[in-house]
Amino acid sequence: MAAPILNLHNITKSFTRGGEEITVLRNLNLQVAEGEFLGIMGPSGSGKTTMLNLIAGLDKPNRGEVWIGGQCVSTMSESQLASWRTRSIGFIFQFYHLLPVLTAYENVELPLLLLPLSSAKRRQQVLNVLDLVGLTDRMHHRPGQLSGGQQQRVGIARAIVTDPTLIVADEPTGDLDARSAVEILNLMGELQKGLNKTILLVTHDPRAAERAQRIVHLEKGQLLESAEMEAAGLLNDGAGSNAIQASEPRTK
Amino acid sequence: MFTRIYAQIAGDYVNLAATIIGLLAIVAGAAYILSNPRLFLLGLKNLRRNLLRTTLTSAAIGVLAFVITMIWTIIYFIDLIQVERSKDFKIIVTYKWSVPSQIPMTHADYLNPSSPKFLPELVDANGKKLYGPNDFMTWSFYGGTTDPNKVAPDTLVFFFVMHPEQIIPMMDDLGDLDPKLVKAMQENPQACLLGADKLKSLNKRVGDRFKLTSVNYKGIDLEFEIVGALPDGRYNASAIMRMDYFNNAFDLYKRNNNREHTLAHKRLNLIWIRVGDRDMFDKIGGIVEESPQFAPFLVKVETASSLIGSFLEAYRMIIWAMKWVLVPGMLLIMSLVMANAISITVRERRSEMAVMKVLGYSPNQVFLLILGEAIFVGAIAGLLAAGATYAFFNLKWGGIPFRIGFFPVFRIPEAALMWGLAIGTITAFVGSALPAWTARSVKVSEVFSKVA
Repeated sequence: MAAPILNLHNITKSFTRGGEEITVLRNLNLQVAEGEFLGIMGPSGSGKTTMLNLIAGLDKPNRGEVWIGGQCVSTMSESQLASWRTRSIGFIFQFYHLLPVLTAYENVELPLLLLPLSSAKRRQQVLNVLDLVGLTDRMHHRPGQLSGGQQQRVGIARAIVTDPTLIVADEPTGDLDARSAVEILNLMGELQKGLNKTILLVTHDPRAAERAQRIVHLEKGQLLESAEMEAAGLLNDGAGSNAIQASEPRTK
Repeated sequence: MFTRIYAQIAGDYVNLAATIIGLLAIVAGAAYILSNPRLFLLGLKNLRRNLLRTTLTSAAIGVLAFVITMIWTIIYFIDLIQVERSKDFKIIVTYKWSVPSQIPMTHADYLNPSSPKFLPELVDANGKKLYGPNDFMTWSFYGGTTDPNKVAPDTLVFFFVMHPEQIIPMMDDLGDLDPKLVKAMQENPQACLLGADKLKSLNKRVGDRFKLTSVNYKGIDLEFEIVGALPDGRYNASAIMRMDYFNNAFDLYKRNNNREHTLAHKRLNLIWIRVGDRDMFDKIGGIVEESPQFAPFLVKVETASSLIGSFLEAYRMIIWAMKWVLVPGMLLIMSLVMANAISITVRERRSEMAVMKVLGYSPNQVFLLILGEAIFVGAIAGLLAAGATYAFFNLKWGGIPFRIGFFPVFRIPEAALMWGLAIGTITAFVGSALPAWTARSVKVSEVFSKVA
């Protein structure tokens, strides 16, 4: 395995709800190599999104450290995190979360406004990624004028426009029809192969997970590789297609 | 114009504060737009997304700024005329025991530097008089009606009686009067100047003549020729006539009736003496009050501001309530209107704020985005409302036609434009600070967990 670009070291994360402490992630460890496409599966409430939030610096662990590209994210201040996120993390959401008042072009341009770029350079980068996701002809459309698949393409373009170290995708096909989902997964595959992007894909969908080079399962606050899951009898087939049914609710 | 604006700003702490706040808002806004033009456009687009809400909020702010501009104009003017100005410090001599004050005309001679009867106590050891002829004037008030059968506001004319050459050097706000009008007054004994409202109510124009039947000096009925109009503003309902024409009328009355008019020796109402400073006021005031020449008449010496202050005493409570209850109350309402509108927009856009944070926008940038939207709406609405109030009232009526005693109209000062900008900015800031802070504090993980 190449040098890890992401290293989660003994991560524990718990929340207090209604006076009760719920431990979502327990002594979790994960290493992801540069250029790797990692699929993360697990049942609802297993802590997948929590883990992504920790990786993206949107939340802090109770214990442990998150290292990305040689930087310890979990000890950064909020303003340091904001600046770091612009350059290091591209986030793709299930519900796209595009700003409805902005056009596709302007949505993609939004993170670039934080970087010291000339307007010509900014424009060039935006046009490049819109071309990459095949939306040059729709760049002046607002989100409301685009289909779900097109909106997600804009979301992907926005995630990659700053050339981040890591792309984090949280159920990117969860709100799409089958055909659009395949298109989006193809696009992500192309990004990973063509641009050597490191991608973390959280999904419920086994077909989506199949696109990943490696799949890990989040169970009871800990990560298991597919092989370990199979050995533990939690998977019915090698691709992990029944993992959802086999999973248990959130651990306490 | 610029001199007047400078005087308004430098001479009043509210104007100065409003100007500083307004300029800061302009500079900060310009800096924000120049450094983040795209984010500014994003703010504009956000404001456009619910155009009805933005319009209604702007309208509410505008209406309140409009009302505050009107109220504050009156308060500002009343404060201004009660302030003892170091540059234009005046002694006012009146009779102590009657309202209106009635002094024998001959007694003005004791205080007139041009008169041989000038009090010797008012001359210093070097033989120099303590004030010159241009610092002295006498006032009488003559009122009459154009229709004795219908004594009503539109037929009544109330004259300030004075020597024409004293108008420019001594009268407040008439320093810029066209000297040709003074010359026209000097050339024609029956000449008079009328304010715009008076010309309108009498349906007269410059050059017209009219007769008055006196209402305060029975039998002293006079004919006038209008030689000019007084400048728009506080003199809109006033009129000025010549002192010698007034005096001659009493002489004529005596000749025609073989007796003096009953008020012949009570026709001088005020004496004004302009002095350099408070020390000179005390010195001259002491001499006048203690002079044996004035003792039988018990004159009173006071400043213009204290005289006006006494006159305004009847309005004290209403002015106090306007200043300290109505205006703060309206500012509070403006802030609440803004707080309500911005709270709604922040609640609606929580996920967008979270997305911006995910993209790398810092909490302070999110805070500034929301604050900027609110301040933009508040400042523009306030500025436009104050500008519209200024243009509408000053151009149409020469000011706000809200009569308080001798003051028929209150001209909105140019500095009011800064009031609108400042109150719009401040109330938007106060109203939106908390909602903007809420947006700043949005926890991304919580927002997305609710979305999912």
